[in-house]
Amino acid sequence: MTLGPFLLMSPLALLGLVALPVIWFILRATPPSPKAAQLPSLRLLEDITPKEETPARTPWWILLLRLGAAALAILGLAQPIYAPNAAQGSADAESVLVVMDDGWTSAQRWGELRFAGLSALDGEGRDTPAYLLTTAPRNLPADPSERLNRAAFEARLRSLQPQPWGVDRDDALERLEQSQLRPGRILWLTDGLDPETAGPFASALARLAPLSIYAATPKGPAALTRLRADAQGVAITAARAQREEPSSHFISALTLDGAALATADLDFSAGDAAATANFALPPAALARVARFQVTGAASAGTVWLWDSADRSRRVGLVSGDSTAQPLLSDIHYVRKALEPFATISEGELTDLIAENPDAIILTDIGQIDPDARAAVTQWIEEGGALIRFAGPRMAGPQVGSGAEDLVPAPLRRSSRAIGGTLTWEEPQPLGSFPDASPFAGLTPPEDIRVRQQVLARPGPELARRTWARLADGSPLVTADRRGEGTLILFHVTAGPDWSDLPYAGVFVDMLRRSIAAGRGEAIADEEGLYTPALTLNGAGRLTQPSAGATPLRASDFGSVIPSEEHPPGLYQGPAGTRALNVASEYRPIAVDNWPASATLLGDTEARTMRLGGLLLATALLLLCLDLIVALALAGRLSTFTRRAAMIALFGFSVASLITPPHAVAQSALGLSETRGFDKETAAALEMRLAYIETGDARTDRATQAGLEGLSLVLYRRSSVEPAAPHAIDLETDALDVYPVLFLALPENPEPFSASEVSRLNAYVRNGGALFIDTRRGGTIGGGNSFDGLDRILEGLDTPALSPVPADHVLTRSYYLLQAFPGRYENRNLWIEATGATDKEERRGDGVSRLFVGDADYLAAWAVDQRGRPLYSVDGGDLQREMSIRFGVNLIIYILTGNYKEDQVHIPALLERLGEDEGVGDFDVQDGVIP
Amino acid sequence: MISLSTLRADAEALARQLPDLPLQAAAADVIHPGAAGRKRAGSGEQFWQYRRYAQTDAADRIDWRRSARGDEYFVRETELETARTISSWLDPHPGFDWSSDPGRETKADRARIILLSLGILFAKQGERVGLIGGSRPASLGKAAPDKLAEDLINVQSAALIPPRAQALAVVASDFYDGVDVWRTRLTPLAKTCRHGVLLAVSDPVEHAFPFTGRTKFSRPGGTLEKLFGRAETVRDEYLEKLAAHEQNLSDLASGMGWTVVRHRNDESALEGAAAVQSALEQFGGKA
Repeated sequence: MTLGPFLLMSPLALLGLVALPVIWFILRATPPSPKAAQLPSLRLLEDITPKEETPARTPWWILLLRLGAAALAILGLAQPIYAPNAAQGSADAESVLVVMDDGWTSAQRWGELRFAGLSALDGEGRDTPAYLLTTAPRNLPADPSERLNRAAFEARLRSLQPQPWGVDRDDALERLEQSQLRPGRILWLTDGLDPETAGPFASALARLAPLSIYAATPKGPAALTRLRADAQGVAITAARAQREEPSSHFISALTLDGAALATADLDFSAGDAAATANFALPPAALARVARFQVTGAASAGTVWLWDSADRSRRVGLVSGDSTAQPLLSDIHYVRKALEPFATISEGELTDLIAENPDAIILTDIGQIDPDARAAVTQWIEEGGALIRFAGPRMAGPQVGSGAEDLVPAPLRRSSRAIGGTLTWEEPQPLGSFPDASPFAGLTPPEDIRVRQQVLARPGPELARRTWARLADGSPLVTADRRGEGTLILFHVTAGPDWSDLPYAGVFVDMLRRSIAAGRGEAIADEEGLYTPALTLNGAGRLTQPSAGATPLRASDFGSVIPSEEHPPGLYQGPAGTRALNVASEYRPIAVDNWPASATLLGDTEARTMRLGGLLLATALLLLCLDLIVALALAGRLSTFTRRAAMIALFGFSVASLITPPHAVAQSALGLSETRGFDKETAAALEMRLAYIETGDARTDRATQAGLEGLSLVLYRRSSVEPAAPHAIDLETDALDVYPVLFLALPENPEPFSASEVSRLNAYVRNGGALFIDTRRGGTIGGGNSFDGLDRILEGLDTPALSPVPADHVLTRSYYLLQAFPGRYENRNLWIEATGATDKEERRGDGVSRLFVGDADYLAAWAVDQRGRPLYSVDGGDLQREMSIRFGVNLIIYILTGNYKEDQVHIPALLERLGEDEGVGDFDVQDGVIP
Repeated sequence: MISLSTLRADAEALARQLPDLPLQAAAADVIHPGAAGRKRAGSGEQFWQYRRYAQTDAADRIDWRRSARGDEYFVRETELETARTISSWLDPHPGFDWSSDPGRETKADRARIILLSLGILFAKQGERVGLIGGSRPASLGKAAPDKLAEDLINVQSAALIPPRAQALAVVASDFYDGVDVWRTRLTPLAKTCRHGVLLAVSDPVEHAFPFTGRTKFSRPGGTLEKLFGRAETVRDEYLEKLAAHEQNLSDLASGMGWTVVRHRNDESALEGAAAVQSALEQFGGKA
């Protein structure tokens, strides 16, 4: 039933409105319950009879509230729909065809399009069938003549997603004509772009049946159309359809896993259809960028995938120079130029070939010895890029005469110096790059001058082989293909001796392109299949390729139009990944040539609003309000609110008690334990001792107790306030976050694996300290019982050890100690021998990082949960105290390094300072200060 | 109901603030013979002093045993011993143990504090204190306030049994039961107690009557309920009746030779206690 702009889904419910007067009468007759009040002096009023008073009746506003709630509920049950569009469709249209543009251009306003589609049937009869036609081409297109009832139509429409490729309206029209469908009316939900196809399509639809059109033209930037990269950064061009208003957006540069590296502004000025965003990123960061995306837009067109054409290469460097003055050598400039983009290895030519890098760069190497030459030649023919720089040696008389000399073109015998004192010519600037050269597109800087070069002999192929020229036409860079690979020669040195080229930014780009060209990626790569690795979906997210995606020939990049077979995305091929972008060079133009017979729906007309739920919710809200009002009138609200506040407060406090964020709790011994973090973070946040788990539960327990005892003593006596100790697994845990590791060996220890020992080595080398207690001091038979230690810790990087000297810092870093007793007395403690090794190789500034003892120190320090000692000690409490003092000294020594050692010399330093005091500064003669 | 320890603490604090004047014993020894030493010569059993015989003394008052030791005659005097009994009574009606504001102490609790503080004070001065209808008779000495406090908390006796001996009565209630009811209750008491105080404790709500709108009133502890469509219309009539009731009560009291002390539980307890104390002292002076 239609009622003005409202449709009623169940109009019979409106009969309930008849009941409203009855409700009104009943409500009027039942007043709200009175307030209750206690009054002890009520006896005084005993004989007063209450007069009949008028307001024993519901107040009018409560009446209004309740009647309103009832009326809203009745109206809501009638399920009204606000549909201003409904009137223009004839109520008895026999069928409705919904045509939907589901290309990537629709993705930005997909929700609105779908909403408009969902309301297409709202004005129609209950049994009006619907048909659906989508315009994005599919391999297996849905038959538009499939008859859908209302529920199936909604389900189909809700499951519809925008496709990451464009629409093909001619194809859709063809399908429609083939299906022989004669709809009663047509609703076209379109992206409103591409007038040259949209106009004829709309006209054809309008000829078929009355047509109404809802066009959702993308509002912001519709597409990223172009990317231009140079040494300074990246420029992204975006295009939009609605060009009247100025608008500003953002473009993010993302890595492949979605981390944003940078954001740039994209500002459209009024009237402009295109705008450019510039990313000034350091090249190293740029190398990680995998895609650019318009922030906040979800469409395949607003993502620009950046392929691996400029990704990091492996480059080998071979230099003829000696390394006496590294900053002046040619290789330095090459290395600095390549470092951000390439992985560089240096070495002999034959070694580098064995590594098979993408390119090898030779700076001023004249002769290549025959063995190496054969290897290099073979490597080039298998696809390597050999880049050579000229120099005094190459300009020598014996080079460049034969074709086997690994130069792209035969060279003249001597170099040409321009602009010297004996020449007439000025130093030459760079000329333009030939179009066929990989350097094409680079801008030659004007202030570069070339003062000297080697010259190629003129020949018929020279022009073809020239990649760059000077202004006078002489070749600067020549190249020649050898097999799969390329041989490239720069006719100048890689350093600034012959030219200013190494100073210029274009030098970097020339090197990069040369390396890429060597692998044959950017030039003459017409072969090879690229299989889709990651594809974009219609919402602009990277997904796994669907089954319909097929490989793409390398030559087809640039010409292929993205479709279901070739969805936009990243394609993996022989030369890395290539990107297929759907919106490349796309120009979004809003349609304005709609046929006159079509009805163009505005945003509001195309949509309907279902009011049933809203009305029922409002009714419920009014009833809740009425409940509160009734409580307030009965005088029960004050206690009610008080109790509610109490409950809320209680609940809040309980909640805050239950989930304390990153609470720092106290262990039984008072050592703080950081909760809520993983182990590594907890260890990094608070200093703590750690021990290596041996797998023997008893020993580990004793070690843990020992470290707890030592931590407690440190906490009480010194400013070292360690947190609760950690048990460490050498294989998995991060070691560098701990200042010291303790290792107490059980009776029959298991040897540590090689990887564990190597991690331990790295830890000690990086400044960690290792304390090993073999716990065998109690056994009969003197000496230090370190047997088997080398078996257990095989491969541990152990310097020469010596017993602690009597005047070592360890004896005075906190307490003054004579000996280092543990559980057993008179045992030697071994540390790194200070004088034993060369000063160059001393680790950790002469502070010993390794401590080996056998007196079972940890057992002497061990305490239980209440801080009482756990194990007996040979010399009783006095020795235990001495042992603990040794522990304190040890930790202070480890933590302070050689600071304490330097403190030993303080008296001597002060004394030496004191000698000068007051002497010689002023000579006071006869009481006169001169 | 107030707890025993709170009651005791409040009452002690209150008693310390009250002026520690003894009741006028000159009057008291005539009216209320008792057993408390008055620190001066008079009729009693304890020896007080020997005094020279005077011409006005009767010959039989000479203490021959003392006089035989010398040439002069001595008269043996005993210490004056008087004690009054102050008997209290607390209305056990639930409407009395009520307060309009849960944060304020109830009328009965306020009355308990005042009664106990006076009890402490009088016991220190050597009077007998006790509770009418209590579990034990009025007593003297240091233990008397303890007993009184226990009785004040525990005893819920509606009966107003007159004490056997002459006593000063303090009757605490809100007296809302109607003057006729109270007359029948108090008349037997007035026969043994020539003087007494009616301590009328009331709640501020009972004077203000701040009710408006449709209100259903109920009396605590009673079945009486009244529904007024507009409570504010009854207010004037209520206040009128309240004033008349108070006047009637005053008339009743003065007819018996008693005094009415009015106290509201939003005033400080000190005022009420001081008013009751001064009323009791006046009786001492008048008689």
